[in-house]
Order: sequence, then C-alpha cells, then structure tokens
Amino acid sequence: MVEEVSDFEALEIAVRELAIEKGLFTAEDHRRFTEFAEHIGPTPAARMVAKAWLDPEYKKQCLTDAIKASLAVGVDWLNPTGFGTPSDYTDLRVLEDTPTLHHVVVCTLCSCYPRPILGFQPEWYRTPNYRRRLVRWPRPVLAEFGLQLPPEVEIRVEDSNQKCRFIVMPVRPAGTEGWTEDQLTEIVTRDCLIGVALPRPGMTTNIPLPVHKPAKPGHH
Amino acid sequence: MSQHDRTHHAKIATGKGDPQCFKGTAGPAKFKVGQTVRIKDLPDVFYTRCQVYTRGAVGQVAVVTHESPAPEDEAWGHVDHSEWFYIVRFKQKDLWPEYPAAFANDTLQTEFSERWLEAV
Repeated sequence: MVEEVSDFEALEIAVRELAIEKGLFTAEDHRRFTEFAEHIGPTPAARMVAKAWLDPEYKKQCLTDAIKASLAVGVDWLNPTGFGTPSDYTDLRVLEDTPTLHHVVVCTLCSCYPRPILGFQPEWYRTPNYRRRLVRWPRPVLAEFGLQLPPEVEIRVEDSNQKCRFIVMPVRPAGTEGWTEDQLTEIVTRDCLIGVALPRPGMTTNIPLPVHKPAKPGHH
Repeated sequence: MSQHDRTHHAKIATGKGDPQCFKGTAGPAKFKVGQTVRIKDLPDVFYTRCQVYTRGAVGQVAVVTHESPAPEDEAWGHVDHSEWFYIVRFKQKDLWPEYPAAFANDTLQTEFSERWLEAV
C-alpha cells in the first residue's frame, strides 16, 4: 500500500466520479465490483490444476478450452460478477509443463494477469524490475525466487502482451500419490500458477520475497 | 459534446466476451502453426503492443489465437477492422545476443497481430 494518494489514484478517483456522474455505472455498481474483485484469489486456478492432474479428460478441456473448463471451478469468465461486462479479456490459455519444459508468465507492457481466476497480481508482478528482467534473464530472476532448473529443462517465458491470459499447469510432484483434489489444490500456490515456483508436498504458501529499500528512490 | 458512443464495447462484448465478439470478422488467417515469420520493424505512433525487443527477430508461429482489432487501432476507438493474432515462439538466443549458450534450449513466446508478421 502507498501511504499517500499517488497521481494514478487521483486519476482513478476523477475518472470514476465522472463515469458515475455521466451514468455509465452507479456508485453501487462500483462498490459491488470492488467487493467482487477483492475477493477472488488463486484458489479456482489451483483447483483447476488439481482437477486436471486427477482427470485426463478435464485436463484435455483445460488445454483446449480453458474458459469453458473454468466453469467447473466456479469461474464464469463471461459473467464473473453476475452483472455488467466481463471483467477481463476472455481468452485463457493453460500452459502445460513437462519434465523438460517449464513455463513462466510476465507482461512486459503492463501487468496483464488472469484476474477472474487468479485474483489481483502480486506487487512484484507489476514492477518494471520483474517485467524488464524476466524476458531477458529468466534464469537469474527465477533463482531469486528460489527456483533453479538444469539446462536440460527448457524455460519458456510467456510474454502476455495482448488479449490472451495465461496460467501455468505444473507437473504433479512426486510424493502426492493418492492425494485428494483438496490436498492437491493446497500445494498449487499463486507462484506456481505464474511459474516462479514449483509445487511440492508441504508447501502451501508463497515464499515471501525480501524487499530492499532502493538507494536512490525513483518514480515509474 | 462528443458523439462517441462510450457504451459501444459493453454492447458488443456482454454475454460473448472480448475477443469472442470479433469472431469471424478478419477473414482467412495468413499464417499457420509452425510457419517461420519475421517481426516487422514498423513505425509506431502513440500506441503499440509490439515489443521493441522482438522487432526484426525470426520465430515460429506456435498458436493462431483469435481475431480482434489491433491494439494500435483499438486505442483510437477504431474497431471496424479485425486481424488474426498469433503467438510466436522465439529461441532466446535469437532475441538476446548475450543469452548464455549453456541454455540454448530456452524460448520465449509472445503475441502479434497479423500486420507485424512477414513470411520468411
């Protein structure tokens, strides 16, 4: 959170108030949408991956029509809030990892992210630091997240720069044999779905990143 | 007073989604999956979503995704002309000369509207 109102926040408030005055939407619409947007998290996407690990037919649907497959985990991309327009572009693609291929998602141009199924972006995903460096130096950036992969594993960066939205479907880890969908859902963290971590038994939260204060604070 | 219809997008996208609301408006796709393409280095005025780091690079079409107006047009409210979009896969070493040779298998994918691609 920022401590004072930034230029962008002032701009958002101005545009919102003008839109309400103009009758494009009501203050109540805005409140309901904000409430909806702040309540979605990564759980539906995690459940999608867990279901796909357990059900090959469902997995096929995730890879061919992820918008339709989202319905099985309670996310309707076309009408996510029950009113108004879709809250994002509606072309979701699931990137399937294999033992020799690992995907990681970034949006170099802004911070495009499959919000209806994954909630809001983590702050680091929006930073120019992550966006600029991941496309060019993916391995050192992933190492900062604690993820180091051998050269035999192809790292494929997906720069989400248009209307497609992406989640990563990691390989089901060893040690999860016989697990239920609920148990599997718990280890597919938000970071696993972006591709900066791999799921593993016992790991159910994202690793907190160390935040260093800049020596020379700038603006972006 | 502007005569611009600010509810136009809501009217076409509600119930269908965007880019689905532009389905069938771009004609046949010019490129197919597996085809080798080069990213053109076109001038861009005011707005583009074609990254500078891909200009001039050669890659393969990985996915033919959907039809939509190009962002360079949509930014100005011009939505009458759609194009096909393509996810193109590049070898990292073809994008960044200094990319370590030890990781020659690494790749990057990103998406372009048809105007940015030319057959090689």
